[in-house]
Amino acid sequence: MTAVDAPPSETDDAPDPAPVVAEETGGEPTFAQRLPRVVARWAAIIVSTIVIFSAFLLAKGADPGPVLEAMWKTAMGTPDSIGETLIRATPILLAALAAAVPARAGLFNLGGEGQLLMGAIGAILVADQLDGGAPGFLTLVLMAVGAAALGAAWAALPALLKVVTRTNEAISSLLLNYIAAIIVTWLCFEPWKDPASLGQAYSREMTGPERFPVIWGERVHPGIFVAIGAAVVLWAVLKYTTWGFKLRVIGGNPSAARRAGLAVGGLSVAAMCVGGAMAGLGGMIEIAGTEGRLRPGLLAGVGFIGFLASWLAKHDPLKCILSAFILGAIAVGGSGLKISAGLSGGAVNILMALVLFAVLGWGSKPAAKES
Amino acid sequence: MSRPIRALAMLLGLSLVVALAACGSAESASSGSGGDSKDDGEFTVGFIYVGPKDDFGYNQAAYEGSKAMESEVGDVKVLQAENVPETAESEQVMQDMIDQGADLIFATSYGHLEFAQNVAEKNPDVTFVHQGGLEGENKLDNVGTYFGTVYEPVYLAGIAAGKATKTNKLGYIYAFPIPQTLANINAFTLGAQSVNPDAETITIATGSWCDPSVQSQAVESLLDQDVDVITQHQDCTKTIIEATEAAGAMSVGYHADASELAPKGWITGSEWNWGPLYTDIVKTVMAGDFKDSPYNGDYRVGLQTGDNPFVQSKYGTMVDDETKAQIEEVKQSFIDGGSPFAGPVKDQSGKVVYKEGEQPTYDEVETMDFFVEGVTGKIG
Amino acid sequence: MIEQVLTGAVAGGTCIVFAGLGEIVAERSGVINLGTEGSMLCGALAAYAVGIQTGNPWIGVAAGMLAGLALSAVFAAMVLLRNANQIAMGLVVSFLGIGITALFGQDYVGKGVVPLETWDIPGLSKLPFLGPVLFQHDPLTYLSFLAVPALTWVIWRTRAGLVLRAAGEGPEVLEIYGTSATRVRWVAVLFGGAMAGIGGAQLSTASTLNWSEQMTVGRGYVAVALVIFAGWVPYKLMLGAYLFSGAIALNLYLQAQGSDISQYILQSLPYVLVLVVLALLSRRRIHGGPAALEKVFES
Repeated sequence: MTAVDAPPSETDDAPDPAPVVAEETGGEPTFAQRLPRVVARWAAIIVSTIVIFSAFLLAKGADPGPVLEAMWKTAMGTPDSIGETLIRATPILLAALAAAVPARAGLFNLGGEGQLLMGAIGAILVADQLDGGAPGFLTLVLMAVGAAALGAAWAALPALLKVVTRTNEAISSLLLNYIAAIIVTWLCFEPWKDPASLGQAYSREMTGPERFPVIWGERVHPGIFVAIGAAVVLWAVLKYTTWGFKLRVIGGNPSAARRAGLAVGGLSVAAMCVGGAMAGLGGMIEIAGTEGRLRPGLLAGVGFIGFLASWLAKHDPLKCILSAFILGAIAVGGSGLKISAGLSGGAVNILMALVLFAVLGWGSKPAAKES
Repeated sequence: MSRPIRALAMLLGLSLVVALAACGSAESASSGSGGDSKDDGEFTVGFIYVGPKDDFGYNQAAYEGSKAMESEVGDVKVLQAENVPETAESEQVMQDMIDQGADLIFATSYGHLEFAQNVAEKNPDVTFVHQGGLEGENKLDNVGTYFGTVYEPVYLAGIAAGKATKTNKLGYIYAFPIPQTLANINAFTLGAQSVNPDAETITIATGSWCDPSVQSQAVESLLDQDVDVITQHQDCTKTIIEATEAAGAMSVGYHADASELAPKGWITGSEWNWGPLYTDIVKTVMAGDFKDSPYNGDYRVGLQTGDNPFVQSKYGTMVDDETKAQIEEVKQSFIDGGSPFAGPVKDQSGKVVYKEGEQPTYDEVETMDFFVEGVTGKIG
Repeated sequence: MIEQVLTGAVAGGTCIVFAGLGEIVAERSGVINLGTEGSMLCGALAAYAVGIQTGNPWIGVAAGMLAGLALSAVFAAMVLLRNANQIAMGLVVSFLGIGITALFGQDYVGKGVVPLETWDIPGLSKLPFLGPVLFQHDPLTYLSFLAVPALTWVIWRTRAGLVLRAAGEGPEVLEIYGTSATRVRWVAVLFGGAMAGIGGAQLSTASTLNWSEQMTVGRGYVAVALVIFAGWVPYKLMLGAYLFSGAIALNLYLQAQGSDISQYILQSLPYVLVLVVLALLSRRRIHGGPAALEKVFES
């Protein structure tokens, strides 16, 4: 396609199947040759985001030095704080995978939050059915299956609407987040309300085989390994299976894929469902690992952060591990910002945005120039 | 590198434009208490709030209490964290405060309780007090809860509202049907009915602690039902009071004295005065006496004990002396051991909940799950 | 009942109408901007803050418009200069807006602002039914009534509208006539941001007289959803915005009536309704949208 009149969206908007292709091309520089550039680029990204964020803090009248130091300490300063960051990064990683798989097929899944919540609900549904009657490991596996199924079902809604009525999936999945959050509120106030809660609105606490053990420090549970395992499996599936290849073809050029006889509709639904299952798993981990029960406001905002983590990683599941960790650390750093500087914790959204500007803005090809 | 530099310059320029436009002239922020995290031996108290600390509401009241405590106690360092969600994230915030040297933590929102208990178990040397909850079975030596009998001043305000209304319809805008809110709505209604048997209360749940657009529409919906007195249980209160005032209806405040927002329609209200209680709790813990103090448990104060942290706001100009005298009388009866919920109290279906001569305990009030007769609305 | 619900629909929907009209222009040029949520927030805070500083709500509205525009400039730069993905960048820009307003808005929570007063239109406001529904609002609401036909006229009857649609439909053609599609998109996106800013200003200084963190609660995203729902047609967008806020009004009205319907069902009504109507209308919209926009969502 000629560059002159390409709409700005055209080249880069179909989520990028490039990483795989690039690795297979012969003439690319080796990793060692690329390393200095990569290091320089990331140094520039980090320095520039910190500088701009500091400018915002100064504009607010806060001294950036102590604020940044407090954020660093809260997120990365001690083994415990790194543990906190891992705990926070876990659902972000699974929400990132929920966006990454559909993105390979050219779909936008903005419904990660709703799918996370449905996963949490599914996990509790299964746990309630088992009622402690199954051994620990089996309980957790069944909860994960239930969570993944409900997460996938919630993601299937926008996917089916897309295929059947061509409803824009970005918009419908986003609207479903609000509905899922209201369902959670309803469950907590009405049918699932813990009778022993003394008025608090949440579901019964699970304390038995439905919970992950604590493996490190005081709160770190094995959920992060489940999430990383899921990322690795997805990476392999997307890279080495024909299914993964088909998704890339659809994402690259759907019309060509259709001409080549691929079942675009079915594959789209499948991609969304796999994504939804990932988010569902994230919801289950949050319940089994961190929360122990359903409560209103659970995982608020995590779906969007995961979506951005997926873009930060260019939809590569392995890179999602790193990007989820980075965004998780920034989110945790937010409480340092609150405590030490008395600033609104919402201000960390600026830092997240700056990191994404740097990576997405610099990472993509510049707009077509007249030539 | 020229490309990144250009992009950087562009970003910097644009974001500053946004920043400047957004803040008008930025007032300088409080510089805070610095990032020094070492425990320097100074007694450190942490406060966590679920919302912003200047919302004209619940959180602002708690924040002002912390300030009053700070100036009263003097030799104390105070850590503040606002917008702390009622999820496991709050555990991390509390742990952070401990890492910064906190010896005592005030968890001020209803949903923070369980997390405070979790952190307390792991940090036996730190004391935790929770605002509004009940300890339940998980009794720890370093955890206590405290609260006022919120519904007492609300009942008194209900008397003033019942006298003031001409349509006999009162409006109540609330967020979620938590027991504290239900008790308030019931107390308000019973107070109004005590002087005006025809008074009824129409309730609207907004499903949010602060969604101003829904709030202003909720006011309109209530006015359309001929409601002429509106009160609320929301975290941000300004929109409702101003919309009510603009429509020429009357307001009963909650959380804070907002009479300046409603010079014509202000009746009265209920507001927090946490300073004295916070000060006493801090002094008790500083002296090492927490374990054997009443704060190590579910501490409740009301008019009966004389130091309810929830007090009546000042009256508006419309309230006459007769009404004020009547309210004083009822107040005295609460001081003497009466209760807004003294039987007979019937629920919406007409079923008697508290029989003649019966009155509920604190625990029963704080787990209330029904509307009294005369309330329009559905829980759930 | 119908009167009350419609009055509420107009009162609550106006901020969405502004944001949605702006987004129609942006999308007609081939750019979808989820940063609308952020622009609304910046507009709401800037209008509130400047309104307090100057004591003049109209200067506040102008500031809100500029703040919404400034935020969309960041989006436009990233998308049009750097060719970043529109959906992702829109969300990032919303994060930026949420963060900036959280940081700087702290000083303005609970502060009093000089309101944009309600203007009852003489004569018309006394009409039964139509009076309260249409003619007892703040001036920005009347502006939104005028903006809908004005924008319709501009899009279909003027050269500017032709150029705008060409940028979205066939940028190649535009280049032949010597206009750059990118330039058109810049203007369209900035206009969209400014309109979202006005919408935010209406929310904070006319409709609620309040500023609180994230006070738009997702209405900017809803506006983007409604643009697609409306098939990029201004009057349908207005209907969509009124449907959404009318559903909120219906929820509140039914609660005030003592309805037996669960409050949770009523609260989910606005989102469910928009989703259902969106799904029902989408099928015949296949060819309704700007071609360049379809490429964003190609599948």
